[in-house]
Amino acid sequence: MINTLLGLLHTKRHTTSDMLPDLADHALTLATVSDQPCAAADGCRACLDACPTSAVTVLPEANSDPTVTVDRGRCLACRACTDGCPTSTLVADRNTRVAVRTRAELLHSNRPLDRPTPAAPRRRPFARSLHIREVSTGDNAADMEIQAACNPIYDCFRFGLHFVASPRHADALLVTGPVGRAMAEPLRRCHAAMAEPRLVIALGCAAISGGIHAGGYAEANGVDAVLPVDVYVPGGPPHPWMILHGLFLAMGHPLGDDRSDPQITQITQMS
Amino acid sequence: MTPTTVSRADLAPQLKALIERGGRLALLTAADDGQSRLALAALVLSPDGQAAGQLRPALWRTPLDDDTLPPLTRLVPQAHWAKRALYDFFGLRPADQARPNPLLLHEAWPAHLHPLRPTPCDGAAETGEATRYRFLEVGGEGVYEIPVGPIHAGIIEPGHFRFSCHGEVIQHLEIRLGYQHRGLEEQLARTPWRQAHHVVSTISSDTAAGNALAHALAVESLLDIEPPPAAVALRAALLECERVACHLGDLIGYCADTGFAAGATAFSLLRPRAQILSEWLCGSRYQAHAIVPGGLARPLPGDQREGAEHCVTQLIDGFERAEPLLLDNSGALERMAGTGVVPRPIADEIGLVGPAGRAAGLDYDVRSALSQPPYADLGWQPARGGDGDVLARCTVRCAEIRASLTLLRRLLAQHNPDAPTRVDLPDRLPADRWACGLVEAWRGELVHLVLTGDQGQILRYAVKDPSFNNWTGLAVAARGEVVSDFPLCNKSFGLSYSGNDL
Repeated sequence: MINTLLGLLHTKRHTTSDMLPDLADHALTLATVSDQPCAAADGCRACLDACPTSAVTVLPEANSDPTVTVDRGRCLACRACTDGCPTSTLVADRNTRVAVRTRAELLHSNRPLDRPTPAAPRRRPFARSLHIREVSTGDNAADMEIQAACNPIYDCFRFGLHFVASPRHADALLVTGPVGRAMAEPLRRCHAAMAEPRLVIALGCAAISGGIHAGGYAEANGVDAVLPVDVYVPGGPPHPWMILHGLFLAMGHPLGDDRSDPQITQITQMS
Repeated sequence: MTPTTVSRADLAPQLKALIERGGRLALLTAADDGQSRLALAALVLSPDGQAAGQLRPALWRTPLDDDTLPPLTRLVPQAHWAKRALYDFFGLRPADQARPNPLLLHEAWPAHLHPLRPTPCDGAAETGEATRYRFLEVGGEGVYEIPVGPIHAGIIEPGHFRFSCHGEVIQHLEIRLGYQHRGLEEQLARTPWRQAHHVVSTISSDTAAGNALAHALAVESLLDIEPPPAAVALRAALLECERVACHLGDLIGYCADTGFAAGATAFSLLRPRAQILSEWLCGSRYQAHAIVPGGLARPLPGDQREGAEHCVTQLIDGFERAEPLLLDNSGALERMAGTGVVPRPIADEIGLVGPAGRAAGLDYDVRSALSQPPYADLGWQPARGGDGDVLARCTVRCAEIRASLTLLRRLLAQHNPDAPTRVDLPDRLPADRWACGLVEAWRGELVHLVLTGDQGQILRYAVKDPSFNNWTGLAVAARGEVVSDFPLCNKSFGLSYSGNDL
């Protein structure tokens, strides 16, 4: 008893005051595309050969450099393409504000993409708190990163984020893993048991696109194939900061905006 | 590896004799190896005549004339899940059982689907009928069932538990998994082998280092190459880092499930440190995309090694303070001692592996039994001993954390950042060869078995997660316990659902 109390006394405050900082230099990160010209015209196909999920596409252009596009919904964050790119066209993205509302926004390219910019939802019913039902379907590292987001360091509870045991109590369904054939029906039933308004969040490469499992007989092709998705959090698995960014985006919290001012951090922590 | 042919009638008696001599059945599956329709392939570990406790892998091949399996489980009870998986994936039926219960491919799957079978089943009518599954019914007055899952209340993987209870006491627990089946073995047989290391790290993504290492060992054995010594040491460091991180994660669970919040907080401050250690070692917080056939994907620069060494020091100090919080707490000890016991004879019979096996008094640890480098040179002994209860599993895992941190400190101290960490591989794999990779992953014995075809393509890739042995241990441990102790029993085994489901 005395030892437990002494142990507690020894434990100081650990909750970080950082907010959505960049990942470390040496961390494996999602890929993005820079404005450096690609050498595909000289026969380079390093990224195409390296990517295990065919997330990178290179289209030759008649009068300019090739168009390089990376689908971050399929990016495993293995750094195989960015390590092997001789022209630094594909580069590591250390940003943790990576969650988006539409699948199209996960495409990063060196050319403007023809895609609508989604307007922020007018109503924000979960602005102050979000109750989350987590369903895992085959990516237990992503589950562990969600648990990490609940630890005393990231402490998601301070932002009004709560994990609940029943879909009846939930505002958002947070799905990890590629949703194979045997999980499709349980997932649908879980969603049907939630009261409206409700959100669906696909967390991690496997949940977004099936990742490396896509296209097999097990029909593990991601949440999209089973339920409409409101927020996508890419990563393999996403870092706890990326998870928090996705949850902020789902809440309509100012920190969910990828252009938000770091100053806001101060304000929201106090509120 | 050259397979030894064992006849259909001899398979079960020979396996039984092997296990009685101290050997092991590591993996039992089937493959179409081009010589007959289908053949059973048993990867066994036979005792080395010279050194006590040392095992050598060998492959037994049993040709099958039809779609029936030889009798197995009466003599070799631990083969019972493998037998059911052979029905799911190959349509092979036990000769004495008309309608076998599926293991992984149940109601969601059509009855005629046997995805790894090269040719359709005899007389398989494509009726589109769903597979049927029958739970064991426990009779008697006052016996009732509690169905739990597939979706559980916490942040945890899906699986179905069917408890048959009398009052508060669990009389029988039937565990039905397979909900996360992603078709990985079939996928590994069609993925270009140079990219397969990305696939294996998703088998159970919390065991990325273990699976990637088993894969690398199997491919290196096929190619008959040795990775550079610096890579061997760093791969062991990644494996031990994974063990520390995952055991720490489960210690949070031991504390939470005994209602000991102060302990849970202490361990949940340590676990992130182990993930930062992993990030220093390989860039990934889950040891993913680091271990590849031939060595390591990237070398470990000197500054990253310093960051890692600093983390190891912090972990050693932190664990020294946190461990007594749990192991000196009478409330937690009372909940853990004598709960969820797997007696030694049953542990032997079901072939329990990993910390759960060692907590029940078994000696088996792949690192020592196969004298794997670099462990033999580091003066290291596997942690073992106990009464097979939750407390024994807890103390064995605490001892493993301490041992792994000591190993990590030594491995990092002797690391030379300028030493090569990768050798070049030839373009293709040798034809018509079997090879295996065995690893003591944090949950126990993890096995990968590969067979190549006449062009060097991968014909069959089989994986056996340690949980495949140990789920039965959980079902045994839960018997006679009250329902409210089940979460603690479950956490004490810390099993993988996705590694089991493949």
